[in-house]
Amino acid sequence: MTFQVIFLEALKLTFCQHEDVGAFCGFCKRLRSFKPEKSQYTLNLDTVIVHGNVLSAEVTTVDTTEEKRTTLWHYALKLSALKDATFRIELDEADPLYPRYRSQLALNGEPKPDGLKLISNENGKLTLSNIQGHKVIITAEPLKFEFVNLAGDTVVVINDNHQLLIEPLRVRKEKLDDEDSNVVEVEEEGTWGENFKSHHDSKKRGNEAVSMDFSFPEADQVYGIPEHTDKLALRTTTSGDPYRLYNLDVFEYELDSRMALYGAVPVMYAHGAKHSAGIFWHNSAETWVDVINYADSTVVSSLVNLVTGGQKKRVDARFMSEANVIDVFVFLGDKPNDVLRQYTAITGTAPLPPKFSLAYHQCRWNYVDEADVRSVNEGFDTHDLPADVLWLDIEYTNGKKYFTWDPVKFPTPHDMVANLTAKGRKMVIIIDPHIKREAGYFVHEDCTDKGYYVKDKDGKDYEGWCWPGSSSYIDFLDPVSSQYYSDRYLYENFPGTSKDVHFWNDMNEPSVFNGPEITMPKDCQHYKPPQDGHEGVSSYWEHRHIHNEYGLFVIRASHSGILKRDEGKYRPFILTRAVFAGTQRYAAVWTGDNVAEWGFLAVSVPMCLSLAAAGVSFCGSDVGGFFKYPEAELMTRWYQAAAYQAFMRAHSHIETKRREPWLYDASTLALLRDALRKRYALLDFWYTLFYEHTLDGLPVTRALYQEYPNEEETFTIDDQYLIGDKLLVRPVVEPGVTSVKVYLPGAANNVLWYDVDSYVALPARGYFTQDVTIAKIPVYQRGGSIVPRKERVRRSSALMADDPYTLVVALDTDNKAHGTLYIDDGETYEYLNNKHIYARIDYEPSGITYSFIDDKAHYPTRSWVERIVIAGIKTPPKTAKLIQGDKQTALQMTLHKGNDVLVVRKPGAKMAQEWRITFSY
Amino acid sequence: MTIPFSYVNDDYCDCFDGSDEPGTSACLNGVFHCTNAGHRPHNIPSSRVNDGVCDCCDGTDEYASTVTCSNTCEELGKEARAEAQRIADLYKAGSHLRLELIEKGNSIRNEMAEQLSQFEKDKAEAEKIKEEKELLKNNLEAKENDALKVYREAEQLEKQKKAEQEKQNSIKEALEQFDIIDLDKDGLLTIDEIKAANVFDRNKDGQVDEDEITYFFGERESVDKNTFLENTWSLVKLVMMEQGTVKPVSEAEDIEPAEEGEIEDSMGDQDNEDLEQEEDDQGDLDHADHEPEDVAVQPSAVYDEETQKLVDAATEARREHTEAEHTVREIEANIRKIQQNLEKDYGLQHEYATLDNQCWEYEDKEYIYKLCLFQKVTQKSKSGGGEVGLGNWGEWGGPSHNKYSVMKYTNGVACWNGPSRITTVNIGCGLETKLLSVTEPYRCEYKMEFITPAACDDASNAPQYSSHDEL
Repeated sequence: MTFQVIFLEALKLTFCQHEDVGAFCGFCKRLRSFKPEKSQYTLNLDTVIVHGNVLSAEVTTVDTTEEKRTTLWHYALKLSALKDATFRIELDEADPLYPRYRSQLALNGEPKPDGLKLISNENGKLTLSNIQGHKVIITAEPLKFEFVNLAGDTVVVINDNHQLLIEPLRVRKEKLDDEDSNVVEVEEEGTWGENFKSHHDSKKRGNEAVSMDFSFPEADQVYGIPEHTDKLALRTTTSGDPYRLYNLDVFEYELDSRMALYGAVPVMYAHGAKHSAGIFWHNSAETWVDVINYADSTVVSSLVNLVTGGQKKRVDARFMSEANVIDVFVFLGDKPNDVLRQYTAITGTAPLPPKFSLAYHQCRWNYVDEADVRSVNEGFDTHDLPADVLWLDIEYTNGKKYFTWDPVKFPTPHDMVANLTAKGRKMVIIIDPHIKREAGYFVHEDCTDKGYYVKDKDGKDYEGWCWPGSSSYIDFLDPVSSQYYSDRYLYENFPGTSKDVHFWNDMNEPSVFNGPEITMPKDCQHYKPPQDGHEGVSSYWEHRHIHNEYGLFVIRASHSGILKRDEGKYRPFILTRAVFAGTQRYAAVWTGDNVAEWGFLAVSVPMCLSLAAAGVSFCGSDVGGFFKYPEAELMTRWYQAAAYQAFMRAHSHIETKRREPWLYDASTLALLRDALRKRYALLDFWYTLFYEHTLDGLPVTRALYQEYPNEEETFTIDDQYLIGDKLLVRPVVEPGVTSVKVYLPGAANNVLWYDVDSYVALPARGYFTQDVTIAKIPVYQRGGSIVPRKERVRRSSALMADDPYTLVVALDTDNKAHGTLYIDDGETYEYLNNKHIYARIDYEPSGITYSFIDDKAHYPTRSWVERIVIAGIKTPPKTAKLIQGDKQTALQMTLHKGNDVLVVRKPGAKMAQEWRITFSY
Repeated sequence: MTIPFSYVNDDYCDCFDGSDEPGTSACLNGVFHCTNAGHRPHNIPSSRVNDGVCDCCDGTDEYASTVTCSNTCEELGKEARAEAQRIADLYKAGSHLRLELIEKGNSIRNEMAEQLSQFEKDKAEAEKIKEEKELLKNNLEAKENDALKVYREAEQLEKQKKAEQEKQNSIKEALEQFDIIDLDKDGLLTIDEIKAANVFDRNKDGQVDEDEITYFFGERESVDKNTFLENTWSLVKLVMMEQGTVKPVSEAEDIEPAEEGEIEDSMGDQDNEDLEQEEDDQGDLDHADHEPEDVAVQPSAVYDEETQKLVDAATEARREHTEAEHTVREIEANIRKIQQNLEKDYGLQHEYATLDNQCWEYEDKEYIYKLCLFQKVTQKSKSGGGEVGLGNWGEWGGPSHNKYSVMKYTNGVACWNGPSRITTVNIGCGLETKLLSVTEPYRCEYKMEFITPAACDDASNAPQYSSHDEL
């Protein structure tokens, strides 16, 4: 017990009063005030073993304040080299009292190993290299890691600021123990229990926090750690709170805030003109992140000098988690897209979504009954508006009992859904993880009888308040409970559903109305597989350990259940509000309960960009705003913006005025129709990008810096973005404007940007002012790209499956362009069995070629090319000829001299086979 | 723009207006015509051509698609004709009842018109009386005023007299006091005499010290009568009052209640102003005369017989005038009421006039709804609690060609965190008058389905169901 006392004394030495961190947090105050001059962590060089891709060694904390060096604690270090310039550091107690939690669901399987070679071991430094030649230099005392990329640049340094900390698990001393009474005195307040407002956290394991600091030399900005309403590029946190990662159901969240929201993805990217790097802090406990950007004007120069020797290009970050082990992945890039790919290689990519889910979703809390659903469905047809999905919020259930229908308002769900599918539409209904505690409700009775619920700190079924009133929460960590929940989605268990009914998992942070910060108490108990000798506090996990991945457990269970409905034939669609690393493998995400205000429209752009960079490309905001009512201009701008965001769903609060598009005036309705048509025209483009995301792991929507990493102006731009690398969008998020500032990147490479409304080519030139009207938001197609469109917008995307394509070819300065197109059945997994088309389309002055990238794959599509629009053509060809199979067809062309656009009229080429068009001049 | 004939219906959109592709889906805003022989012809957006959904009952919209549509026009046409017949019959039967309603409505309106003209006559009469009474009142008041003038002047004189008397009394009292202190009666008060007079012992310590002397007499060695009157007496009197040696004079007693009275009056004025404002808002009363001033005439005064007669006559004239005014206002209010009712839009032929203020109820699981036509809509929970207003009569809200098919009741009780409740009543033709259903499709926006023979307007609905559509 002696060293524990010393350890605590050592902690006290470094204790000082500092910034007032929000009232929410005991451990981050404690950790934030932990600022030793020199790290106590030391690598024991005699214990180093390098085997395969892993270095293992002992790390100790040593008290160096006295002459006699006292070892305080023992830790086990594991450093692994992983494929694609990635390293992993795991640091745990060598012999903990009982195991510390390791997050379970973030990783997409076991990461792929690379080779690891020890190059040198001298002067207290180890140098290691992976197969490609990325290096890790480990300094033994104090422990420090430096990561060097192939160019020889150090891109990530760990523990340079001496903030590595793992609070060892300890046994609580009994207060009545006379001999050790002084031990009790040195315990910091809050070690064995904390209070938050009226809530008490029993903290039976005491303090168990971890912390680590990361430095990114030569970085201009850092990004990531969604979900926040702050700028895309993270800001220095020395004044105010750190960024908080703790999944919470926040009522009326604030803008420009680092406060916690529904999602928490602890990945951070650092970028400078020279290189990019990233780290993934693999921890599901509550996490706070401090950032210091030395170029920031708020950072005092004395600190800049002290830390970086006056070098302003450097960003430091510090991750602090309340519990678990240290497990961190380091990505060495070295370009932004490399780092983004390296992250999705670890946590997975989003699977190809069913095509309908990329189209327009109409939701409201609530469509009140079947007649209402029918009339909204008809409203879309009456007003000639495309829509793919109608949604039902919680009121469809029988008294908020999930997996049931209200027998009065929704007596014939099958007929209701059939009425939708008759027009190619689908339905999404909500299922939340809280279960109503009502006698006779089969789910509640099953869960009670079989012990499927999360337990409170005393081991009884935890009871909280949510929509149904008194509720309990399924413990998804128990595979049996999780399976039970999955099985509720089967057709036989949920009559009224069919393959065209998909699901929305809301409130999965989890939201507990009467819990601390509207979530589950941290000392609730979750399932842990039984193990000999693990009793008492070590026989379960506490909610604090798993909190940020609870929502991921929910959607994983839903996904597995929905998948099983037709023996894995159809792709599930799930929408989730809670987010953690890996969420993208199961669900789309929306930004929660926003407000019908301009600021919330604006912030949807950086919020979704940040999520996309964190793996979650399938992101959108409640179109129109959840709370309050959007007037016509705001509604118009929101539809126009959302038409170019990955997930497009209109939603509204039950207390607000109804706002289906036709409830606005005729001219607004026309503008909303136009926005929806723009969305539908590009559905195949979006679909192709989501397919490519499954291949390359890159975000579907990208910040400018990701594609233009050398242009410093782009590093902080977050009000415009790219779709793939082809379209640039600058949504109008300001009221009453007649022009907006737009940045066109790529000047150094003479990139041209074509206004999609006029085909007028604008050379990249940084910022310029673009005129807008209420009918226009600035969208540009990059010269050198080809974008497939479907101009025949119908009632739903399913009805457009066989429709012909218009190919928009935007020429670069070399008169070339390139694009891709992906086609499949839109809903099954048959595409994995080569039942798809993945083609490239290449334009050169001599002609256009449509060829299969994946030549083993085919799909019998009936679609064809009705039109090819070639923009920026200086010398048009005289004749054109289509060659497909043995057939040759002369084609007609029209030249529009005003804007150098050549239109090839009705080539009629079939997309099911390769083809070629040749030009002669 | 001219295009080759081969470009027509070749599944490629050449014209902006879509006119070159009436038979395909090539143009975004095009229109496809379903002939639908056996049923009604129908235009659909061309985006519904060959989309796999049968939209035309003759199936012509899916001529090149994966689905095969069967021709259901004959069947649908039959159903539609039967339905049209049913509705036509209903309207026919209903229109008789509607006629009755129109007749009743007209007679009610006629009655009201008669009443109105009667009231107009009454009003003219009453106004004449009012004018007469006003003239009389003004006359009598003038006389009364003249008579009272004498009394007012006398009163003024009395007041002056009283003030003079009081002043003399005060001097008298001062000189008496002076004489008491002036022990040697030499007309001068010396320090010794002062010291001997306990009236100057302000602090009541049994002796008159230097401070007290200075307080009353300043630095003077001695004080004569005039100085005493001018400077010292007021101070002495104050001390005497403090010590209770003299009672405050009656003047002081008068002041306080008077002040209170003033405050009350001003408050009263304010109230009156508020009242006036409210009444002005309602545009009801003309408050040109100032009743409060009239009332202010002192009633307590005692007048001689002659004057009293004049005053009584004037008072009676005022009362009669007020009464006459009241009568005019009452008649005006009645006129307004009738006018409002006459102005109320009871439908094209006043077919709804008899239904005004009639109520119908509808019950669902939780609530009893009550619709009182042209008045208000309410909701009452079956589990208790008061009535909640779901809207007051607003206006007819149907589309321009069928304005009387929808009633709007607006400005009900405000919703928590939201707008005021409103109710939309859809009115259909029925042989009886009945509230069929109540729903709340939008939060705090209620929808009622209501039938009545009043809506069975054969003329406006007939064309829709006439036989020329049934090709």
